[in-house]
Amino acid sequence: MSILTWIVFVPMLGALLCMVVPRRQIRTVAVAASLVTFLLSLSLFATFFNPAGETSGEGFGSRYGMLQHVQRATWIESKSFAIEYFVGMDGLSFPLIVLTTLISLLSCLASWNFDKWAINKGPRAYFALFLLLETGMLGVFVSLDFFLFYIFWEVMLLPMYFLIGAWGGPRREYAAIKFFLFTLAGSVLMLVALVAMYFYSDQAITAEMARQGIEGVASGYREGVIISHGTFDLMELATNPAIQNHFAASSTLFLGWRFAPLMFLFLFVGFAVKLPCVPVHTWLPDAHVEAPTPISMILAGVLLKMGGYGFLRLCYPIFPTGGMTWAFPVAVIGVVSIIYGALCAMAQTDFKRLVAYSSVSHMGYVMLGIAVMTDTGFQGALFQMIAHGISSPMCFFLVGMVYERAHHREINRFGGLWLTMPRYGTLATIGFFASLGLPGLCGFIGEVWVLLGVFAAAEKFTWAIPMAILAAAGVVLTAGYILWLIRRVYLGKEREEHAGFPDASGRETFILVPMALLCIALGVFPMQTVFIFTNGTLDAMLAQMARVIGMGS
Amino acid sequence: MTLLGQTSAWSGIPVGEHLWVFSPMIALIATMLAVVACPIVVGRSARTIARVATLGVIVTLGLTLATWGEVSTNPVSGLSTQPTSGMLIADNLSIGFQVILMVFLLGVIYLWKIGSAGSEENAPEFFILLLGSALGMILMVSTSNLLMIVLGIEMASLPSYAIVGFNKRDRKGAEASVKYMIFGAVCAAIMLYGVSLLYGMVGSLSVADLARYTVEQFAGGQHPLLLSVGLLCLLVGPAFKISAVPFHFWCPDAFEGARIEVTTWLSVASKAAGLILLARMVSTFAGAVDEPLAMSVLKPLAWTIGIMAAVTCTLGNFAAYPQQSVKRLLAYSSIAHAGYMMMAVAVFLHPQADRSGEPMAALMFYIIVYVFMNLGAFGVTALVSWETGSDRIEGFTGLMRRAPWLAVPMVVCLISLVGLPPMAGFLAKWWVLVALGSLADGWGANLAWFLIIVAVVNTLISLYYYLRIVVVMTLRDTGEPVIRSPIGGLALVNFCALMLLALLVVSAPLKATADRFSRNLFDATTVTQPAGEPVAAALDRAD
Repeated sequence: MSILTWIVFVPMLGALLCMVVPRRQIRTVAVAASLVTFLLSLSLFATFFNPAGETSGEGFGSRYGMLQHVQRATWIESKSFAIEYFVGMDGLSFPLIVLTTLISLLSCLASWNFDKWAINKGPRAYFALFLLLETGMLGVFVSLDFFLFYIFWEVMLLPMYFLIGAWGGPRREYAAIKFFLFTLAGSVLMLVALVAMYFYSDQAITAEMARQGIEGVASGYREGVIISHGTFDLMELATNPAIQNHFAASSTLFLGWRFAPLMFLFLFVGFAVKLPCVPVHTWLPDAHVEAPTPISMILAGVLLKMGGYGFLRLCYPIFPTGGMTWAFPVAVIGVVSIIYGALCAMAQTDFKRLVAYSSVSHMGYVMLGIAVMTDTGFQGALFQMIAHGISSPMCFFLVGMVYERAHHREINRFGGLWLTMPRYGTLATIGFFASLGLPGLCGFIGEVWVLLGVFAAAEKFTWAIPMAILAAAGVVLTAGYILWLIRRVYLGKEREEHAGFPDASGRETFILVPMALLCIALGVFPMQTVFIFTNGTLDAMLAQMARVIGMGS
Repeated sequence: MTLLGQTSAWSGIPVGEHLWVFSPMIALIATMLAVVACPIVVGRSARTIARVATLGVIVTLGLTLATWGEVSTNPVSGLSTQPTSGMLIADNLSIGFQVILMVFLLGVIYLWKIGSAGSEENAPEFFILLLGSALGMILMVSTSNLLMIVLGIEMASLPSYAIVGFNKRDRKGAEASVKYMIFGAVCAAIMLYGVSLLYGMVGSLSVADLARYTVEQFAGGQHPLLLSVGLLCLLVGPAFKISAVPFHFWCPDAFEGARIEVTTWLSVASKAAGLILLARMVSTFAGAVDEPLAMSVLKPLAWTIGIMAAVTCTLGNFAAYPQQSVKRLLAYSSIAHAGYMMMAVAVFLHPQADRSGEPMAALMFYIIVYVFMNLGAFGVTALVSWETGSDRIEGFTGLMRRAPWLAVPMVVCLISLVGLPPMAGFLAKWWVLVALGSLADGWGANLAWFLIIVAVVNTLISLYYYLRIVVVMTLRDTGEPVIRSPIGGLALVNFCALMLLALLVVSAPLKATADRFSRNLFDATTVTQPAGEPVAAALDRAD
């Protein structure tokens, strides 16, 4: 059994265990389960230090579809129709898997004081749902069969809904339903794409077999494998020339529309809601503000990354021509998200809402970097996802700590917290500066790489340079609201009402320090911490896409 | 055309063999007679009657399974000299439906025993009606003869009218019953009118002959008004049973007025029977077309059913929004689900096409999953409303604390009704989508993708009103007292919920079963039989 299967289902076993152990042991079980998962995911690093001496992204080979730790088994079968349990890992999913297990572990630790929460009923349900959520998230990142991907994608909704709805703030019901409705609205069209992609790939394979008079078509990425039917295999869909030609051909129509751009759009909507980008971002501030702190961390750290991952795994490799068609609108949405998100953040008086809007802004870079389809852009987008996956849970935890002490989140009522809580203040500064994109910290690399990627696309797209300039202006706005925030909350004179606040406790420090260290490490050693793992796969993917786009023109 | 009464026609019929394959129906009739006899022999005790009925249903189930092996390889179109226009059909489909129906009936009887056995004075009458409607539903799916179709629908409907208003002191039930009956009578009249028109044109009561006639006419580029009117009128009968829009008006009232066991029964059984009847007619029509490429002549029929399905599920979902009674909400939800299932029926595939059995398999899969979803959801509603005396949504407030063993299965069933993973309801929808997708290869692409989009958008629409129940159960609490339910009822609903979870992970056996139900779908109705050839030989050949 693949180690990935263990990584996905250990949390679920933990959830089952949570249902039966004595009440006082529940949180221990939950932390243990997420710790085991995290350690298992760390063992994945061994993939890169194999005896063959491949210590770079080459561990995944030089073409898209090189996978590690693969496990395939037929799951649902019918005539000419096989849905597989197919998990695997490449440079795209690897960092996100590790990020997910890390953030899950940290936010599980952040839930340690569950008994002291305002709503502390049902720890059993809370931790069980939390671990189920982790299973769902990890499942999304490891599954390479579209059907399986969709199942995990939806499985995640219900735990999240209950976690926000049952343990959230005053408007939790509204926030939870809004989250559920928005996400489902995005994913129903994905279901249409799921069905359509199967049947259109079936058509492609059947036509190819008839044209060549053969019994099956060679797989696009597996040696010596022959396929004779449509497929849900995401790698096959992206790499098989017959399928790619059929998808990209302008004569392939879906209800009278060209297939590739339309399917791209169907998938795009679902991922854009999750990312989220303007104008479908409105669920995010509500969900964040109402969710309990650990759930906000998960939401910001992992859930949003699924949108970006979806773009990179489904939209672009499978429908590169769709990506070309929609490049300008997607880039515009990205830039609007950057600027609008930053402006909104600037206007907030609620601490948590500000951080939520900063997520919208940061995710705009991801979208912009992907939209231009250059290697620097892709690398920057993935890096930005990981960087934000570390800095933004950190910011949310920092907000949560203040809220626990002050019981309010009014930015203007704070001040001088650095003096009151020196250790907390130092860590907070690292977190927010990382979010700001200060050189030397993780946020900087992602943004710069994205901007370079957009500039690099100037040959392809005439609008690339203006976009890059606008996006760079967003950096200034980000600096604006973060610096203003730091001044209002952490600097200045110490306030009477906050004077008695205890500094960060041992547990809180223990949660913050790893994230702070990672913020620095990613900022100083971007190559060694991220790029060597991811670039091989991303470059191979782009090469694959370039072939298809070249064929189409 | 030969009717049963003509004695000369009986000579060529292997009656004994036919009686064996139709023995489940006979067993059901015997059970009804036993229930009648019970009061004379052992008294009117409700529990005794229920036991007798349960036993009878189990015997029927046993006989069904016993005959299955034979029927599955050798479908019988029987009780007539002409195998193509047999009065009754026994094939995988009818047997499969009987199995589902009998298992479901056991569940309903069990629910009745928990809830109503203590207070019911007229148990024998109730069971005669309940079993009678079951017999009618079995007849509906076991025929492709217009006369038997009419008889089957009536046989299923008349007892249903009576059990909806069974408690004569209940005004709401009586009103529901009258509404149901008037509506049913009108629909039956329209259908009969249609049948008479069609008989006048075709000169035969066999659906297969009707299908051939229709295909000939349509293929010639003609769409005669009389034929179209006749077909539309014929559609009204099944549409009424399915409660497809615009023949759905009886459904919410009848479901709300009836006792909850009866509602459970009608919500699944009568719709399933109507759908399978319609699907059988559709497959007969598809079988009448000469070759797969010529299927487009049936486009008007496919679009009629498809649009009806699309409107049904959309309207059902929207109408569920303002409901305050859970029973009524689930009634509208059942209309919506009938719409989803009807989409699978709109897929006309030629018998020789690649996936010709797929739509029917999808329908059967859906029905099986729907049995669990509805038995679970209505079961919880019943247990709550028996305890609190109300089936309003507010009555469910705080159920997570008051009765976790009711709330958790209810959440599972409701999410499954929405059609979200990881519940089996998603797979049920999935197979319908796949069935629709298999239409997308040729003439039906537009219809297929249109219906697929309607179906997935409806999933989204339906989420909100199912969540309303989930919200009051799990996120709100007003400190209402704890609910205690009989252990049997808890076991029933939790079993249903467990099945819904298990069926997603291990769906292969269920899919295989559904595939098996839909195998040889066309044999009993499309076999072309030279005069004088023995029935069995013709059917062997068809295998």
